[in-house]
Parts: sequence; C-alpha cells; structure tokens
Amino acid sequence: MEKKYDCIIIGAGNAGLVAGLELAKNNKKVLILEKENAPGGVATSFKRGRFEFDASLHALGSFGNKEHPGEVYELFKKLGIVDKIGFVTIPEAFHVYSMNDNANYKLPFGIIEFMEQMEQYVPGSYDALKKFFVLAEESKEALSYIEEKKGNADMAYLKKNYPDFLKVSTHTVDKVFDAIGMPKKAQEILETYWVFLGSPASKVSFVHFATLAFSYIAHGAQLPLKKSYEISVVLAEEIERLGGKVKYASCVKEILFKEKKIAGVLLDNGAIYESEHVIANLSPTSVYGSLIPNQMVPKDALKLTNSRVLGARGFSIFLGLNQSAKDLGLKDYSYYILENLDSNKEAQNRRSIKNSSSAVYVLNNVIPSCSPKGTTILEMSSFFMDDVFSKNVTEKNYFDMKSKIALNMINAFERTTGIVIKPYIEEIEIATPVTYARYTGHPDGVIYGYKGTGMDNLLPRLLSIESENFIPNLRLCGGFDVKLAGFSATYLSGDLSARLTLQDMIEEGEEEWN
Amino acid sequence: MELNLKGLGKKDMAAFKELPKNREKIIHSSSSSPIRTDYVANEIGALLHPTVQHVKVVDIIEENKNTKTFVLGPNIDAGTKKLAYFRPGQYISIEVPIESGLYRRPYTISCSPKNVFDNLYTITVQRKPRGIVSNYFLDSVEVDDTFTISGPMGNFYYEPLRDARNVIALVNGRGITSILSMAEAIKDGILDFKLTILYSARAERDLLFKQELEEISRKNNLIHIEYILSDEDKEEYYYGHLSKEIIEPFLEPETSFFVSGTNAFLESTNAVLKEFNLPNKYIRHDAFFGKVDLFGNDPYTVTVITSEKEYTLTCHHTETLLSAMEKEGIPTNSRCQVGECGFCRSKLKSGMVRTIDGVLRKADEENEFIHPCVAFPESDVVLELPF
Repeated sequence: MEKKYDCIIIGAGNAGLVAGLELAKNNKKVLILEKENAPGGVATSFKRGRFEFDASLHALGSFGNKEHPGEVYELFKKLGIVDKIGFVTIPEAFHVYSMNDNANYKLPFGIIEFMEQMEQYVPGSYDALKKFFVLAEESKEALSYIEEKKGNADMAYLKKNYPDFLKVSTHTVDKVFDAIGMPKKAQEILETYWVFLGSPASKVSFVHFATLAFSYIAHGAQLPLKKSYEISVVLAEEIERLGGKVKYASCVKEILFKEKKIAGVLLDNGAIYESEHVIANLSPTSVYGSLIPNQMVPKDALKLTNSRVLGARGFSIFLGLNQSAKDLGLKDYSYYILENLDSNKEAQNRRSIKNSSSAVYVLNNVIPSCSPKGTTILEMSSFFMDDVFSKNVTEKNYFDMKSKIALNMINAFERTTGIVIKPYIEEIEIATPVTYARYTGHPDGVIYGYKGTGMDNLLPRLLSIESENFIPNLRLCGGFDVKLAGFSATYLSGDLSARLTLQDMIEEGEEEWN
Repeated sequence: MELNLKGLGKKDMAAFKELPKNREKIIHSSSSSPIRTDYVANEIGALLHPTVQHVKVVDIIEENKNTKTFVLGPNIDAGTKKLAYFRPGQYISIEVPIESGLYRRPYTISCSPKNVFDNLYTITVQRKPRGIVSNYFLDSVEVDDTFTISGPMGNFYYEPLRDARNVIALVNGRGITSILSMAEAIKDGILDFKLTILYSARAERDLLFKQELEEISRKNNLIHIEYILSDEDKEEYYYGHLSKEIIEPFLEPETSFFVSGTNAFLESTNAVLKEFNLPNKYIRHDAFFGKVDLFGNDPYTVTVITSEKEYTLTCHHTETLLSAMEKEGIPTNSRCQVGECGFCRSKLKSGMVRTIDGVLRKADEENEFIHPCVAFPESDVVLELPF
C-alpha cells in the first residue's frame, strides 16, 4: 500500500467522508483511516434479530428536494451522490408533549402552515413568528456570507445588507423572542427544537437556533431509505471509486511532525503514513489532548480547548416492537416527550439521572418497509447535561443503571401518550454515554460536541476560523467544529474543511512558486 | 426594510464586531495546562469493552473425555491488568495460532460475572471430530499458555425490559455454558429471574456441570433443573426427547424461552416450541449458524486483497471464506463467526457466494459487502478485506 498521500483524514465520520470525497473529486490522493470496521461513525446502523436500527439519524435537515434544494442537497449533488441514495420526506415537523401541564402540540412543516397552526394554539403569535422567520432567513444569508469570507466579514457590507442580523447576532433565543414580542407559550413550543442543539433558550445563540429551525421548517426533513448508514457506505464507495482509500480497523495514535510541520500519522500497530495535510474528524480534546504530543500543541490551542465546555451526553433506546405502528396506536413520526416545555427548566431536568424526557421516533410512519410486516421500529433519543451520568455510573452498576433509565423513559412515554409499548418489546438495545464514549472516542460520551453557548456559539466560532487554525495544514471537522453538531452540520463541516485544505495546498504551491 | 426589534439597536450592531475579541479574551484567560482526557464514561467504556484482552491459562479442568474447561486470568506481562465485566450469556473471541494458520473462535463465558472481580473467566471446549481449534485446545493447551481475546460480546443475555421473569432454558451439549453463567449470576444476586433448565443429552455421562447445577438449584429456589436423556431410561430423568408435555408444567402466563445448543437441537426444539404458538419475542437463541443451501463445483480460487498483500487460496463450496483465510494465516478481524457481529465485513469484488439470509445490513447488501464468516463460494471469488 502507498505510504504517501496528499491528505490523510482521521476518522470516517460524516465530515471525514465528505472531506475525503471532496478532495478525491479534486484529484487529490486521499487516505481515510477509521478505527471501526465500517464507515460513518455514528451514521451507522446495527441489526438485532429481524430489525435494523439507525444508530443516530432521525431527521436530515437542510436537505429538501430537487425542486427546493437545501445546502446538504446541493452538497450531495456536487459530490455526485444525491441520485445514489433514496430519500423519503418526514410528514410533520414535530409533535411535542409536555408532562407538567399535560398538553400536546403538533406542528407541520412549511413556514405558512407552521405559523397558521401556531396561531391556532397561541392566538396572537402569527406576527411575531413572521418576524422570527424573516430574521432567521436574513441570518442564514449573513452566515453564508461570513463563511464565504472565512470569517473576515466586511462590516459596512453587513450593515447595509443584514442590519437586523447584526442587531440579534450577539443575543440568545430568549432575548430575541422578547424583542419580537413572541408570546410565552409560542416561545416554549418553538423551543422544542432545542433538543437538537443541547443548549436551552437562555443560553443558545439566536442566530444558531433560528437558522437551523428555519431550515428545518422551511425545507422539511428527510430520511434515507436504508438508514444513515446508506449515506456513509455510498460516500465511502465513491471515494474508493475515485481512487481514494478508506482503511478500516486502523486507529491513529499520533499525528507526526517533521521540523514542526505536519508530516503524517502513526497507527497503533506501528504503521506510518505520510502526508503534509491532515484533516481530523474528531474532537479538539482528542486531537490536542491525545494525538499530538503536548509540547507540540500551540499554547492557544490548549487554552481554547480548555476554555470549552462539553455538551449533551447521549442516551438512546432502540426498540423493535412486535406489533404494527397502527395496531399500537402510534400515528405520528416524532413524539417529543418533555417534562417541561420551557427549555431552561427542561435543561435543569436533564441534570438529573431521573430525567425521563426523550424524543421518540416511529420509523415505520416515514418508511413503512423499514421493518417486517406487523412490527415497528421505535427509537427514543435523550441526553443528560453535564456529567450527571458519569457521576452515577460504575463498572458494576452499569447494566442495571441503563435498564433503569430506559424504563423511566419508556414509562414516561406510555404515561404521557397513553400508548402502551412495553409488552411488545421484541428487541431492545440501549446506548449510554459509555457506549458513545467508547464508539466515537468523544470525551464523556458527548454527542453534540462542545456547548454552543456564550463566546463558543456558532458566530464567534465562524468569525475565528482562520485565527484558530493553530497548526498549519491541520484542519479539524465534525460535530466539535465551527458548524457545531448534527447531521447536516457535520456533512457541511467536512465540505468546509476540504475547501480549506485545498486552499492550504494552493497557498503552499504559491509559496514554492515564489 | 428593517424590523422593529424592541430594545435592540445600534449598540447591538457594534457588539457583533467585538465577538472575536471577546472570544479571544475568554481563551486567553483560560489555562494552558495539558488537556484533560480522563473522562469517566471513556474509562468505563474501555473497562467494559476493551478491544483486546491478554489472558493466561491458569487452570484446566477435565469435565469428561472430550470436554475441558479452561480458567483464564489476565496476562499482566502483556498489559492486561483486569478482565472486563460481562453479561451472562456473552462470549469472548479467542485468537489461536496453530501451525501456519491463524484462527479465532467464540466461546461463551461459563462462570458468574462475580468471578471477574477475582479476575477469572472460564470457557469450556468440547472436541469436534474435525475441529482444528477444539482438538488443539483439548490436546495441546497447557497451564500458563497465553492468548489474545476480545472483550465480552453478543446479545444472548437476560434483559428485564424485554424478557419474561419466568425463563425456561432449553439446552444441549456445550449450550449449557451460557445458561450455567446465568444460573451462577442468579445465585450471586446479579440477575433476578426464575430459571428452569431443561437439559437434553444422550446419556447421563454426557451431562456437563451436573454437580454444579444441582448444587445451585438446591440452594436457590429461583433455579430448577430437569434432564432429558434420549438413550438412557433412568429414574429421575425424562426419557426420550424434549416435548410439549415436558415443558408445560413449567409454563407461566408469560414465559421466555432461551434456547442454546447444537444446530440439530435448535431445529428440533423450534419444532416443539411452534406448538405453543408464541410471539417471536419469547424465544431467544444463543448465537447459531443459520441455514444455507450449499451448491458448487469445487474447488474455487479465492483472491484476498488486503492493503498490504494479496493472497491466493482455494476454498470448497462447503467451507466459509473466513475458514479458508484462517487456514492461510490471514488476519481476519472476525468475532462471532455466525454472521451477527459484522466485524469481518468485506467487499466482494467479484464472484458469487451463498450466505445466510438476514445477516447483512441493507446498505451493505446493496453495495456487495459480505460477512465472510457465513459466506460459501459458488464461483471463483475476489474479496477485499477492510484493512
């Protein structure tokens, strides 16, 4: 096998795969090293009995369709894979249940439809919602501009074209909701989207929240027919077809330097691969904490990484039920079962090991053929804030503890919706922060990267792309990077890191030329 | 047109400009000490699911003429201090180099999880007539021999959220090992359910762990054991084969069946269980090799491509691609060897294979990936390993 590459990518997660394909398409010789035996990272699936579960994807946002393509659709088109994967549209935006006041709200996709339904639930919310979506759309355009400028935005241009974006740009969701006069109840219902971000309305930046919620509601959301793993496999296949190499069961132990410049990587089996460019699809905690010898890590990289706060720790339950969704009375795709609609109070609940909130997805209501006839795939996804799970878990109590938490969540679902599922469990798998920590290598089982709050929210990250490129020719990507976590964000992050690397290569060439 | 944003104005626009500076301030005020990597979830993950464990044979117990139990402890010299905790019913995959071959075999851990705190696992090996690895274990392995094994794996375990509290285990042969581990765990208070073991064998002398099982059931009223002998009519034993009538007295309104044994046993047991007309969820099987209709015109040439080397070997239509690779000493990364775990996932570059239905993920199936541990060649084959 060749030992020298134009670029080596560590990790075949969403971002690593997209980066690899983007580079291969640009005729770069690329090697992706993946510690597991299949591509995708958490964008994978697993079988239990007669069921195949998606490990993580419940809604692919920013995708849309041929007629109304979102950013991810455009990306997949550019990469030449959009027609190789079958997609299905999710029927409704969300159905949220609040345990504390026994209410539930079901919201459709489409801006107009969404506003009209919300007006029914909360009379007087229509105008504020209109403002919300205008602000969101303007923010989205402004972000694209800033990203295009790699963070070096022209202030006069922003003032002229995106004045309202600038006004809200440094504020949290709570603050802007008040400024546009959003009624409290409508705020709470809309805040349901926070569970995708992992930080509540008083902490998360408005721009981040609004741009994602806007994409989600305007473009709708899709699911690949054969699980997110299909996207991963197609990406990996395409990379190899274009001459790239994806090598599995290959765990990188160290990033190598030669005269202080990136020189390649060392695997845990002693193999060395050379390259002057490395893209790392893992957390800065791992890159600067484990893969690079401490004396080689720039001080600012240490300081930045130490200043960041780990986000939500994942907890998921995968159920194969031996009755059809219809027979069980499961009519919707998504049921958000929250102890409290108020995201700030809800975030507090998730600091307790007794947290029973979860987002529940009934895959058969989007893809009827996803499991055998007369059965249902139901996945429950939740998270804990801070290190509450780690504080309570031991090697000995682990299996009991995960069953107990799962039972809590299943009971809360049954109690809140009146739908009984426990007697029909044919297969069950439970993933905890320990599972995520082991499988992804991410610190403490984090699934949403660092908290996107305070000065570590989307905008300051985006504005600092170049100033935080601490080690020349080493680019980072994935859910811990500038675009934060989520499927769409990580695919787009991979694209960004590849474009930046291509630029690094050009600049280098120019230097040599000069 | 600008919106009317109550309380937000010029000042906020100016704040945008300060964002990078404010971010820098926070970064500069933070510590430049080495980055913390000692997270509890990662540490427990590594303890529960190590990629490899180095072990040493600390004792060998002869169960009968053709069966031995091997007691394994950590091989501290090779870097393993502590064996991983497991769920009763799980297995470890053991790597065994024999002559020029490199083999891996899954063996159920037969002891209680409690033994892990004394740093011990036990596995039981039964001689198979042409089994390369089982014969090697029975004839050649000695105390102090060292091996590399995987972390505990597999999905054949009691899960209170799914399984009934009344469990009837239907077992024969080495299949008793997973159930013994569950019984030991009930005795030790680690598991809590009612377990009736219906243990089938030809003759009394073929029953493994009879003394241990009887001792456990005597001392614990959650555990009950009955034997069914096909070739011996003896007092206190059922005579004949497992039947609906033998099972019925132990049934409760909600009962789960755990089935563990040889393929022939699974087949006959499933026929008996059919009479109860139970939903799938109440019948769980220990890992077993599914049915494949074999066909072929032998032998076939198999080309195996790894990133470092290309191998050419021959493989018969009655032999799995994995088994042919093992004999050649090709490192294969397999674990379960029944198609379930997906560790040996490889790309079928050309040729045709016959394989067990339902083991592949849809996206893999569509993109010509196979699990060589359950794939039999039906033509010459080119296989690309994932590393």
